Amino acid sequence: MPVKKLQCDMPKSVQFMNEVAERSGQNIYACYQCRRCAAGCPVGMQTMVTPDRLIRLITMGETEEALNNLLVWKCVACYTCGARCPNNIQTARITETLKQMAKEAGITPLVERTADFNAAFMQSAGHLGRFNELEGMGIYETKTMLKDLKKGDIKSIINEVKTQSDLGLAMISKKRLHIGIERVKNISEIKALYKKADASKKEDRK
Amino acid sequence: MKEVAYYPGCSLHSSSELYDLQCRMVFSNLGIELKEIDDWNCCGATAAAKTDDFLAIALPARNLGIADATGLSEIVIPCSSCYSRTLVSQKRLLCDSELKHKINAELSRKVEAKIKVSSILDLLMPKLLSGELAAKLNKKLAGLKVACYYGCLLTRFPCDISVDDNIENPQSMEKICEELGAEPLDWGYKTDCCGASASVNDTDQSLLLMSYILKDAVSRGADCIVTTCPLCQMNLDAHQVRVMQKHGIKKSLPVYFITELIGMSMGFDPYEMQIDRHFVDAISLLKEKGLV
Repeated sequence: MPVKKLQCDMPKSVQFMNEVAERSGQNIYACYQCRRCAAGCPVGMQTMVTPDRLIRLITMGETEEALNNLLVWKCVACYTCGARCPNNIQTARITETLKQMAKEAGITPLVERTADFNAAFMQSAGHLGRFNELEGMGIYETKTMLKDLKKGDIKSIINEVKTQSDLGLAMISKKRLHIGIERVKNISEIKALYKKADASKKEDRK
Repeated sequence: MKEVAYYPGCSLHSSSELYDLQCRMVFSNLGIELKEIDDWNCCGATAAAKTDDFLAIALPARNLGIADATGLSEIVIPCSSCYSRTLVSQKRLLCDSELKHKINAELSRKVEAKIKVSSILDLLMPKLLSGELAAKLNKKLAGLKVACYYGCLLTRFPCDISVDDNIENPQSMEKICEELGAEPLDWGYKTDCCGASASVNDTDQSLLLMSYILKDAVSRGADCIVTTCPLCQMNLDAHQVRVMQKHGIKKSLPVYFITELIGMSMGFDPYEMQIDRHFVDAISLLKEKGLV
């Protein structure tokens, strides 16, 4: 792996570090790079950037890389890093925060499907008040397949259709596919909470 | 009958509705009536935490408000993700009154966040310790070697929440399985992650994580895996064939809900509990062990 020289820009670094610490609620200043988190991270072998490296990127002001690396998008939020951290830093919370900050910065995620799935889930949960597996999966699959189509990635589409239809058929045969639609009666409350969430995001941006 | 408030969550009302049915059967037999809270909403699961800090707290808060209004002292949440998100929301609301006011402004049933939030194991353990569970068992699950799988969210939280069990090597499910006459195994992946929703959006990663879990369980000689979380169950069950093909695992393992093993020991009919709705055949093993 090529070694990248870190460019430490103090004012930029401090501003970014403070924002991540405040929004995630994590005392990242306490990290002394012991790497207990890295030893326990189940995706670290694939992401290369382990929780300790992610914190280092943040403290060194490497904003671009901190906002868009494989750990941010492949973190499974198992909270092992935080459970083992001697300084009680929950890096999974940091990856959750960085996903939101990346979106605000208009960055295209390294693993787009992760962002697309989360967005589809929230859309379905907000629409009916309860997550509808068919609706949520429908929104997600349409979105990812359209993106693959635009890229001319027909292989991915065929692969996805095959996987999902296999799973769908298995679910039908085991009567695990739920066709009925459940919705929250007082859906106006859910809509109001979603509206408030949007409003507070706009306020934060100001 | 003691009444306990009950939040099934979305999966227990759709793909894992068999777990909803089993929870009601098992707890009713233990003298606990699960009172499903009315008009509950999705807790936002892990997606909310990854996209919107406000909704991640506000969505479970609405359910907590409905639960508070029941006047009951405890709510049980079988799904690990719903349980975790609801506890995290409650914890945050208790120390952030400004946020609580902001959320309550939109709610008809205001959240006080005072109800005790319990996992299914929190509800089962006192019944085990008091001997009430043993009194309801009439069939020993003799010779059934089980790998108790806790997954992530029963013992690890993104904020300070104390857990009654050992967080690295929890034992409560093992204790329950021993009471049922089964043989819980010591193994290394009981609190490792199955990938959760990554099985949808980062499939290869999730299949890899599941392969670690299945390989270890198989190599320790397990007959089956037992879990409390509907997403862990769905992942390890529905995707098992693909994990086996991709990662060269030869033996398949049924993945039971804890309620299924307890129900079998209580003498319930496996078909009535809908154990035939698993992806990996879960009935044959029970027959093999002379339990059906």
